[in-house]
Amino acid sequence: MSTTAHKVLVANRGEIAVRIVQACRKLGLEFVCVYTAEDAASGHVRLARELGGPKSLYRVASYHDANEILSVADEAEATAVHPGYGFFAEDYRFARRVSQRDRKLIFIGPSWRVIRELGDKINTKRLARSLDVPTVPGSDRPIYDEMEAERVARSLFEFQISQGIESPLVLVKASAGGGGMGIEEVHDPDLFRSVYRRVRNYAARQFKDEGVLIEQRIRDFNHLEVQIVAERGGANIVHFGTRNCSIQSTGLQKRVEVAPGFDPGAVAYDFDAAKLLEDITRHSLALARRVKYDNVGTWEWIVTRDGRPYLMEVNTRIQVENGVSAAIARIKGKQGVDLIAEQIRLGLGAPLGYTQEDITFEGMGIEYRIIAEDPANRFAPWVGRIEKFGWPSREWLKMHTQVPTDEPYTIPTEFDPNLALGIVWGKDISEVRQRGLEFLDSLVLEGRNATGDPLKSNIAFLREKTNRILLF
Amino acid sequence: MLDVSKLLDEIQSAPYAELSIAAPHSGLVSFGELAPGGKVFGPSGPWKEKPGTLLAIIERERNKRPIYAAEKGEVMLVHEELAGTFVQAGTEIMRLRHFLSKEEVLSIILKKALHLFTAPERAKYYFIPAVDIKVKVSGPKAITVHDGMELFIMSRMKRETPLNYSGPEGVIYAVYFNHNQNMDAGQPLIGICPPDLVGAVEDAVMRVQTDWKEEE
Repeated sequence: MSTTAHKVLVANRGEIAVRIVQACRKLGLEFVCVYTAEDAASGHVRLARELGGPKSLYRVASYHDANEILSVADEAEATAVHPGYGFFAEDYRFARRVSQRDRKLIFIGPSWRVIRELGDKINTKRLARSLDVPTVPGSDRPIYDEMEAERVARSLFEFQISQGIESPLVLVKASAGGGGMGIEEVHDPDLFRSVYRRVRNYAARQFKDEGVLIEQRIRDFNHLEVQIVAERGGANIVHFGTRNCSIQSTGLQKRVEVAPGFDPGAVAYDFDAAKLLEDITRHSLALARRVKYDNVGTWEWIVTRDGRPYLMEVNTRIQVENGVSAAIARIKGKQGVDLIAEQIRLGLGAPLGYTQEDITFEGMGIEYRIIAEDPANRFAPWVGRIEKFGWPSREWLKMHTQVPTDEPYTIPTEFDPNLALGIVWGKDISEVRQRGLEFLDSLVLEGRNATGDPLKSNIAFLREKTNRILLF
Repeated sequence: MLDVSKLLDEIQSAPYAELSIAAPHSGLVSFGELAPGGKVFGPSGPWKEKPGTLLAIIERERNKRPIYAAEKGEVMLVHEELAGTFVQAGTEIMRLRHFLSKEEVLSIILKKALHLFTAPERAKYYFIPAVDIKVKVSGPKAITVHDGMELFIMSRMKRETPLNYSGPEGVIYAVYFNHNQNMDAGQPLIGICPPDLVGAVEDAVMRVQTDWKEEE
């Protein structure tokens, strides 16, 4: 089957669903979207109605119900499933089922074996260590037992003290969590037990799995990523550079992403930043080659102020912030790189068609996550109705959103309150900052909640952080 | 003061509830033998372990999901035109009418009598673990709440915040939310029976038990 004779089921919602549909259109592929009752007003539903052919939109009970998603795929005659991010994106069982059921479908993502191998954070750690890739000290599997958890935490406190760290910290994470949810830090060994129980109970409620991971909390670091792209079979693996995602909410969720990861030309670092970017890219590629990585993926790193990198995890999926890497990348000198389209094309079995030498980078990109939330109140989500939303179009700006700009939109409470992604490009750090501020200042975002209070958003926070990008 | 007789009369004048049966998820729908006018029954047995009348089956990925009547009633409409087709989640497949049961009548009356603590925002609500255990073991009436007591966890977009009860002291007489269910702002979460209302509530329970005749 040629790669244009496919129909892709978009097993996701919101902004990523919109972008997958747009990428399918670009590639000349048919698509089918699903939505739940709460999401009836979302942009991806509207787009499917406007652009979809027959059988291109189905209401489902849940985005989490694999049976339902696959029965829709059969009914709509889809041949491939794109999981987006979240939901089934890193679920190897789902990927395996999709590709092994009676009516086989293509899972647009790495093969299930690769997802299983790298989706297990512990296995990733083990693999990384075998390749001399540095990793964060901590538990090497999910912990379900309180006594054991305390033992691990205590040893991490002792380890940090022996390293000369004055105020050691331990992170307690829901092992089934992700996206920064269900993570707390502990500064006092005596408080560990209460935090552990809180995270465990939260994990049981939200992820139906009580397992927690316990790690050293490394402070004063930057969060970097390496974007990997590979064709089926894992023979051709390239990278699309690095990103810096250090500007986060108090809940450790990303808010601003910048590509490339550091700017040694304009910012002074305490270490050789250019070499560090090369090192983490080389390490990431080595691990990707080792597992025969075969689609898009992100290698997540933390880099301390003194320039020590630690591999945190591999996200075996497309990420929210893929667009900021695309904004600065050129393939054979051409702009307009679309990593989601690349993901689909390669997922369907097309050859890569270019080499690492063909990929070059130009300028700098900033991605802003525009969210209805109150940064002053621990980033509490704001719930209500958006009445006005708009921005002037600019050739250096790309907006991705599921929120309509021509009618009011009530934010669903079931999902993260992300409203839009604004990606700004500039030729260097000063231009991209200045354009970033111009964009944020020109953005119109108004609304009210049930009690009539005006919308709260993170725009002022993003504005303030724009001058802090790429710094420690 | 609660006028139970008046409320009972009001309910008696329109004693039916109309239920729209919607596809709980998408899939292929098939119907049984039911036709408009047919009688259906709710779950039975000492523990309600026997399901009610089979209304329809929705099949997806070779998993058949039977849809049973949750209440005793009568079929008003069967969407026969959907038989054998793929329906989307939320599509109405059948409509039933049922005569209000004693529990439902009591619930309607109690909602007027009890002090209702309502959801401040659209969110999912949970009791805090200490209360949740007691509710599960001994039932909600084992819990006495007082003003300012930490009682709920409010969860929106996976972010959880504690929520304190405010209102008169009393026992939790009714719980109106389910696990993982989204509650709209203003919907009641619990009904509290303060000590001075106990008499009136017991009277209401008694009146409904004796005066409400369930239709066979």
